[in-house]
Amino acid sequence: MIDEQTVSRRNFLKTSALTSAVFSLGFYWPGSGKAAKIVNAAEANNFGVEMNSWVHIDKSGKVTIFDHRAEMGQGSYQAVPQIVAEELEVNLNEISVVFAQGDAKKYGNQVTGGSSTVRGSYKNLLKLSATAREMLIQAGATKWGVPKIECHAEAGHVIHKPSGKRMHYGELVEAASKLEAPKDVVLKKRADYKLIGKPLRRLDTPMKTNGTAVFGLDKMIPGMLYAAVERNPRLRGKVKSFDDSRTRLIPGVKNVFKVKMGVFNTYREGVAVVADSTWAAIQGKKALKVEWDDTGFEHLDSEEIYKRQAEALKTQEGLAFKKQGEPNEIIAKATKKIDVTYETPYQYHAAMEPLNCVAHYQEDKLEIWGPIQAPEWVQDYISKEMSISKEKVIVNMTFLGGGFGRKAFMDYPHEAAVISKEIKGPVQVVWTREDDATQGPFRPGITYRCEGVIKDGEIDAFKVKLAGQNNSHWRGGKKDVPNGSASEGFLKPYTDSIKNLAIMDIPFETPIPTMWWRSVYASTNGFAYESFLDELAHEAGKDPLDFRRAYLKEDRLQKLIDKIEEVSGWKSRKKGEGFGVAITECFSSTVAQVVKVSKLETGGVKVDKVWAVMDCGWYVNPDTIKAQIEGSVVMALGAATIHQVKFKDGMAVDNNFSTYQMPRIADIPPIDIHIMDNDADAGGVGEPGLPPFAPALTNAIFDLTGKRVRKLPFSLLGV
Amino acid sequence: MMQDPKNGKINFVSMKTATVLSVLLFVIAIGASAFRKDETPVKELTLSMINKDSVESVKAFETVYKVLMSSRCMNCHPAGDIPLQGDDSHLHAMAPKRGVEGKGVYAMKCSNCHQETNTPGLHTPPGNPEWHLPPAAMKMVFQGKSAHELAKQLVDKKQNGNKDIKKLIEHADDGLVLAGWNPGEGRTLPPVSHAEFKKAWLTWINKGAYAPKK
Amino acid sequence: MAKITLNINKKEYPLEADPQMPLLWAIRDLAGLKGTKYGCGVAQCGACVVHLDGEAVRSCVTKVSRAVGKQVVTIEGLSETNSHPVQKAWQEIDVPQCGYCHSGQIMSAVVLLREKPNPTDQDIDDAMAGNICRCGTYLRIRAAIHLAADEQKKAAPQG
Repeated sequence: MIDEQTVSRRNFLKTSALTSAVFSLGFYWPGSGKAAKIVNAAEANNFGVEMNSWVHIDKSGKVTIFDHRAEMGQGSYQAVPQIVAEELEVNLNEISVVFAQGDAKKYGNQVTGGSSTVRGSYKNLLKLSATAREMLIQAGATKWGVPKIECHAEAGHVIHKPSGKRMHYGELVEAASKLEAPKDVVLKKRADYKLIGKPLRRLDTPMKTNGTAVFGLDKMIPGMLYAAVERNPRLRGKVKSFDDSRTRLIPGVKNVFKVKMGVFNTYREGVAVVADSTWAAIQGKKALKVEWDDTGFEHLDSEEIYKRQAEALKTQEGLAFKKQGEPNEIIAKATKKIDVTYETPYQYHAAMEPLNCVAHYQEDKLEIWGPIQAPEWVQDYISKEMSISKEKVIVNMTFLGGGFGRKAFMDYPHEAAVISKEIKGPVQVVWTREDDATQGPFRPGITYRCEGVIKDGEIDAFKVKLAGQNNSHWRGGKKDVPNGSASEGFLKPYTDSIKNLAIMDIPFETPIPTMWWRSVYASTNGFAYESFLDELAHEAGKDPLDFRRAYLKEDRLQKLIDKIEEVSGWKSRKKGEGFGVAITECFSSTVAQVVKVSKLETGGVKVDKVWAVMDCGWYVNPDTIKAQIEGSVVMALGAATIHQVKFKDGMAVDNNFSTYQMPRIADIPPIDIHIMDNDADAGGVGEPGLPPFAPALTNAIFDLTGKRVRKLPFSLLGV
Repeated sequence: MMQDPKNGKINFVSMKTATVLSVLLFVIAIGASAFRKDETPVKELTLSMINKDSVESVKAFETVYKVLMSSRCMNCHPAGDIPLQGDDSHLHAMAPKRGVEGKGVYAMKCSNCHQETNTPGLHTPPGNPEWHLPPAAMKMVFQGKSAHELAKQLVDKKQNGNKDIKKLIEHADDGLVLAGWNPGEGRTLPPVSHAEFKKAWLTWINKGAYAPKK
Repeated sequence: MAKITLNINKKEYPLEADPQMPLLWAIRDLAGLKGTKYGCGVAQCGACVVHLDGEAVRSCVTKVSRAVGKQVVTIEGLSETNSHPVQKAWQEIDVPQCGYCHSGQIMSAVVLLREKPNPTDQDIDDAMAGNICRCGTYLRIRAAIHLAADEQKKAAPQG
């Protein structure tokens, strides 16, 4: 992995984003899966590792922190510095934050997905920052000739209390950079934190209130042209021919050519129009006449997809994801059983910033700027697809105008690179909203058949079968194994404590590409499993929360249930008042939600309030967590009651917000959010708040009306 | 929000709006029934030039009514304070409010989206320099009106924007009325041409502006 | 193509543009002011809202010719120091997540507060219904508008 011959100190300085930095600390990633080792820049040179690092301090004392993860609203731009500043002992408002370039060697896993920014990096970041602090203190102590133990760090200074001497970090960086990094530094106790755990203001907010935050679409580089691409609306289709005669008449249009972009291990074809403004490119695209070759694969309608899923659930048993006891035998023999089907729709990510990417292909390198969730994957993928050595593919992250999973793919940067290569110059490829909305990959719509038997007020048999697309199959994933996320969202203690249980996955494919969407399979599983549990609780004649409590014996879960009970007034509610609950777990965090609904005089129901309690263990910024849960609830509300991707003839029907409606301000109920405090490891924050909302809502509707909603989306006014 | 599960079309309206709207419909229904009388022309129109013929007038109004109740006309003459949208006359997405002058409110003024001309493309804002709803003090509601009620309303100066017969006749060529026949891509035209509509409109008025029985 | 001059944020921009070009692209690509965002292109999402003689128009469907001779104000021109009461309230409440829609949200909110200095929740619903936020910051938008109204009141001369 490390090529000691080719990487030199000179090389490091040349590629370092901050060549004036004197003291740099970073991780050396010895290989995937191994613990990170902390090294400073000088040591890194000895290793022959070309590396940047998270923390840079220059002689003036200016601290720059690299954010190795994408900022798409979830708060990495805040969380990473807040963690680093805590152990480094610097003021948060005195540091600069810079997005790191994609490089797995320097930053480890940079893929901003799976709610992993904090939980995946915080231990290393704490250690790194504490190490830097200790080295600076040592440098100060040595300089003054006093014992290190008499010195401490505070607000960017090293202080010798007995003498009252103090020096700012800038004066010490040179000496510190020559020290060897200490091995085992002592981290602060949680009770001593000054920054972590506090609802500090986000560092990126001011840039987002005056238009200065640079999103992908805002990136401009000298000489840049603009491109829009008419892509085949069916992923597997090809360009048969195209007529660009009208396109070429549009002032500003410079070039028109066929283009092929990689979408994982398949390719999407289209025709690119390159012009001197976005508008001219879009006009040129509209004027194209393209004939597609869409032979060789099925063109499905939504109705057909769901018909096939229903049929599969009736006739097939599927592959066992988890099977224990004798669920089938008990269900077969039972005189009374629940046998219900839940249907969930395909969804579109609909980030407010449509996909876009700037690429500049030059003979010796390719540089990319864009709203990118997975810079290292982009680097990897393009390097392979275009046969450019990896270090010559430079991937820069801008701010992301939302991501929700879609901006973790490599297709749009690859396409931009291909177009730049063709025109031999820098280009920004702009996806129109219509492109963005119709081309996927989408969240798969999954149908679940749930069968259960209650005996003596307890679950005697529990069986869930799911039929829906596996996101890995169309990318070449193994098809003879069940979906590894068949129960994502469903709390593990249930599968541990229910004796007779089966979770079966029926392989199901269509030519429609599917992929991650905020909270992934938990976003649909949560609805099925938690609605089914509610139905079982009612069958058992038990309070839905008490019923769940009996299976969730872990101390953390009991405390979470206590809290949601307390804040929502669960125990003092009256039956039939319209309260519903759901609890799901994903990305190592558990969220309980209670939803309260009431009847509208004009028919239908309205959501009065949502209570949410999150247990995400160790956390950085409670206000960021609250914001993420607010957003998750809004996104879940839309997916449960407003929008879905429908297909006709193998293509997505709705192509813009005029028909693919979004929740708007008047639709949003008050949301009351609480965070559990404990010493457990950090869990995810950006996604776990989404899955419990839909089932809590439909469970509340059942409580109010006696009507069970088993198909999403549904109309609140139609209930 | 509201979603019709049958056709999957989505109408956007806040819960509060839905309540207000149904109350309004109720009030209008009660109010309208109080005016119901038989085929009597309204005073202001009994001019010597009028060649009265209740049969022909009422017959012409059939065409007028069909046009006025088509989505191209009715959508901007809603019963509530939110315009309608589309061939199925669902509540306008994002629930823009009428406002005092009928030109919208705050950041949601009609002309913020509706330009002087139609915006190209499907599901894009149609345009007209005068794009607006009737003002709050003179709502000129079409939605939910019977032919009888609508005919009465059209000639009632207190309900028609103080239009006398001359102004009513001129109104057939009003810019916004004409906009109904230039609705933008993907929208159905009114059931008859503008020429046929105008002919029926003039016939109805010139023959006495009689209101049909129902 | 035609030579036109736009007045954006009190500065003259002589541009060469197709008069049919939406104001949005003239502001972004020709004047180089990137704070105004493209979201849908069909006046559905509000990310592109700018002020045209004080009104919150959607620049994605507004032809550049409509803006000639008028005052265009974009998010960059709302205040010189990020200190308009609405901007300050947005910062105080930490409204944005991804932030992409907030130029438009702020420009809409400013018109609301100019015309209704003490907006009710219903006024806020009515004014902000045209601005989509996919991150779901709506509750904070509401809170920030109320806060800005309070701040505006405090700042206003007494009597």
